[in-house]
Amino acid sequence: MSATIKDTYARRVRTFARGSESVLITTSVIGFVVLASTTHGNLLTRGTLTAIFQFLAVPVIVGLAQMVVLGVGQMNLSVGVLTGFCSMVAAWLMIRLGVPAWLAVVGAVGVGAMAGLINGVIVVLTRINGFIVTLATMTIIDGLRYGINGTSTFQGYSPSLVRFGKGSSLGVPNVFLVAMAVAALVAVFFRRTVAGRRLLASGGNPLAARLSGVSNDRSIVIAHMISGLLAGVAGVLEVALSGSVNATIGDDLLLPSFAAPIIGGVALAGGVISVLGTCLAAFIMRMVDVARAQYSIDPSWVDVIIGVVVLGAVLLTQLRHRGGGPR
Amino acid sequence: MTFVAENVVKRFPGVLALDGATLRLEDGTVHALLGENGAGKSTLIKVVTGVYRPDGGRLLISDGPSALREVQFSGPHDSQRAGIGVVHQERNLIPAFSVAENIALQALPQRRGFVSRAAMFELAGRCLDHLDVGLDLHSPVEGLSVAHKQLVEIAKALAVDSSVLLLDEPTASLTTDEAERLFTVVRRLRDHGRAVVLVSHKLEEVFAIADTVTVLRDGRSVTEAQPLRDFTRAQIVDLMVGREYTEVETTSRRVDRSALPVIELEDVSTRAGHRDVSLHVHRGEIVGLYGLVGAGRTELARCILGLDRITAGSVRVNGAPARIRGVTAALHRFRIGYVTENRKEEGLFLDQPISRNVAVTVWRRLARAGLVRSKGERALVEQYREQLGMRIRGPRQLAGELSGGNQQKVSLAKWLAADCDILVIDEPTVGIDVRTKAAFHDLIVKLADTGIAILLITSDLPEMVALADRIAVMKDYVIVGELDNNHRYDTTSQAVIRMIHDGTAA
Repeated sequence: MSATIKDTYARRVRTFARGSESVLITTSVIGFVVLASTTHGNLLTRGTLTAIFQFLAVPVIVGLAQMVVLGVGQMNLSVGVLTGFCSMVAAWLMIRLGVPAWLAVVGAVGVGAMAGLINGVIVVLTRINGFIVTLATMTIIDGLRYGINGTSTFQGYSPSLVRFGKGSSLGVPNVFLVAMAVAALVAVFFRRTVAGRRLLASGGNPLAARLSGVSNDRSIVIAHMISGLLAGVAGVLEVALSGSVNATIGDDLLLPSFAAPIIGGVALAGGVISVLGTCLAAFIMRMVDVARAQYSIDPSWVDVIIGVVVLGAVLLTQLRHRGGGPR
Repeated sequence: MTFVAENVVKRFPGVLALDGATLRLEDGTVHALLGENGAGKSTLIKVVTGVYRPDGGRLLISDGPSALREVQFSGPHDSQRAGIGVVHQERNLIPAFSVAENIALQALPQRRGFVSRAAMFELAGRCLDHLDVGLDLHSPVEGLSVAHKQLVEIAKALAVDSSVLLLDEPTASLTTDEAERLFTVVRRLRDHGRAVVLVSHKLEEVFAIADTVTVLRDGRSVTEAQPLRDFTRAQIVDLMVGREYTEVETTSRRVDRSALPVIELEDVSTRAGHRDVSLHVHRGEIVGLYGLVGAGRTELARCILGLDRITAGSVRVNGAPARIRGVTAALHRFRIGYVTENRKEEGLFLDQPISRNVAVTVWRRLARAGLVRSKGERALVEQYREQLGMRIRGPRQLAGELSGGNQQKVSLAKWLAADCDILVIDEPTVGIDVRTKAAFHDLIVKLADTGIAILLITSDLPEMVALADRIAVMKDYVIVGELDNNHRYDTTSQAVIRMIHDGTAA
């Protein structure tokens, strides 16, 4: 009996070692160590560490927002601008309407969820490809984002929210803690809830899902709604962290939103997700960014490197699929 | 030219699809390739056309009077170059391209990297002339009728100068008139010295047009390139179904038919095209629905499950009229489960663990406070692992890693878990080896013994005779007859085949 248990564990360890998560963990650790040692420990100062994890929070959440829709076999191009839009909504609620911070947070997240819900409903009702629907809504939200306050900046909103955003608990940045908590919730959602599993069933094999009594339409709507909700959370974190927001927030989030899940081993075709992988991939991309700052590399190289890493990751997954496993 | 595929062997994981099949083709003949579903016809065609590589046997070819030489096809391209063209059952045309573009696709005339349009139209026109059909070369293919598309595919095969032309079930979706016109074309091709291979289930058309015949059974050729006129229709049927299955499970089961049927269809017509279908299944009864491919059996199952619309007639479940709006309703309100024919595409989530595949229908029941307990899922898998004899490593193994038979068991477990009273089982043993097949038959009978009403759809006649208590025969979306199964293979199979070919009840 104990032999079989040991066997099971050995197999689980092997499965893990073969998976992309282990590759990502190794890459992250090596990257971090190399970076720390080549910068003479500069990386390990309190200020630098805090900055690394503070600015990891939003990419992680945005990556997860994309991952959720990828899981059901869809895409959400509006993730980036929606994050910016939700930031603007939160700030607008506080400054123009004098709404208390907590209510503004709830409102902004709600707006995100609503926008996602609309995306999903349009996809389901019109049967237009999600790529095209969200391309259109991306443009619409982009316009709305500038509509709120033009190109000017909102600042001086709720000091307590900003204090929370810039602060740390037990040495860990608060925004990063929030991001980790959200990631854990997303993981539980997919692993344990009926809706989460149905979502993956729809993404993995829509036909089989339908014949098993799963509503693919509902899965699509839920996925888009959660995606929007997460974009709302990312927007709120942005508001809390930066202390001032304008309509350009979210402009540079679309590529990373895809890069994180793809590097993290999420199947573009749907049905397979990895919360841990997405978080780790976001961390690796953050390291690339940090390396640029530490070595004063031309910023344009960062995009080149991330682009290459995305291609490499996809290629690696493909090779692994061809190599091992049945067919 | 002569083409010979000699003693071809092809193995798939868990299945021996071809086990010494020989196909010998001479030019200027129409050759019928016959066999029941699963006998290996499609596999043999895929070997001949270079889609599959054989695991044993040889492919030989000779041009004109020269001696046979061995060839090896590493892909469809090679077989095309050797002069073998094929028209597959599924359409392979590009809808938005014009007729000419489609015909010339494989042999696009080029000049300095540009398509020579004039040469393309000339080529396409020549191919269509050959068939003596007038089609507008410029019109896009998507607007054409099924029959015309078929002709375009044949022209496409001719464009690469095929001396052997394989037609896989060419008349499956044609009307009688269209089929007749197609055969005129086939005869013309034969008279021009080509070898035409016709794969068909319709014996009447085979006898009308073919010169020679090869019959496959269980992956083996039982008749090789014999003149068709030496056979009667009954003899061919005997060759196709074989007699060695005669004594598989001949026990008759006792079914209590005094109570109301669990499910009853009365004069049902559907949007899919069924007319006046009446059928009922009692508790613990296995009713077989037999018919050829395309007879409308799977389509009827889909209508019962609410995937397609019933336009007239009534469905009653346990005596009460039922309007089934979709699979969810079928499953949860009426307790009808559907074990699909195509487990890979319709039955399973290959990238996900067995536990999730089995529990997908009952997550709601397993959930506490919205969270599914993996313990409950695992318990479910363990239960059916034993009951169904699944050979798996554990509940976490991915469904895609299992053999065909075990995949089918996972698919079945899913519906048993959902606690169904009625199971529609569609082609349960396609692509499953003989031993697992026997185990599966046992299982189905045991399920019926527990009181489940089973509607069994299978094209495997021995299987049908072994399992069913009653057999309904469907042809062209109509039930043409029904008989009590006495489990005697020779008489029952003859009666069933007769119903199909005569279209009348025995």
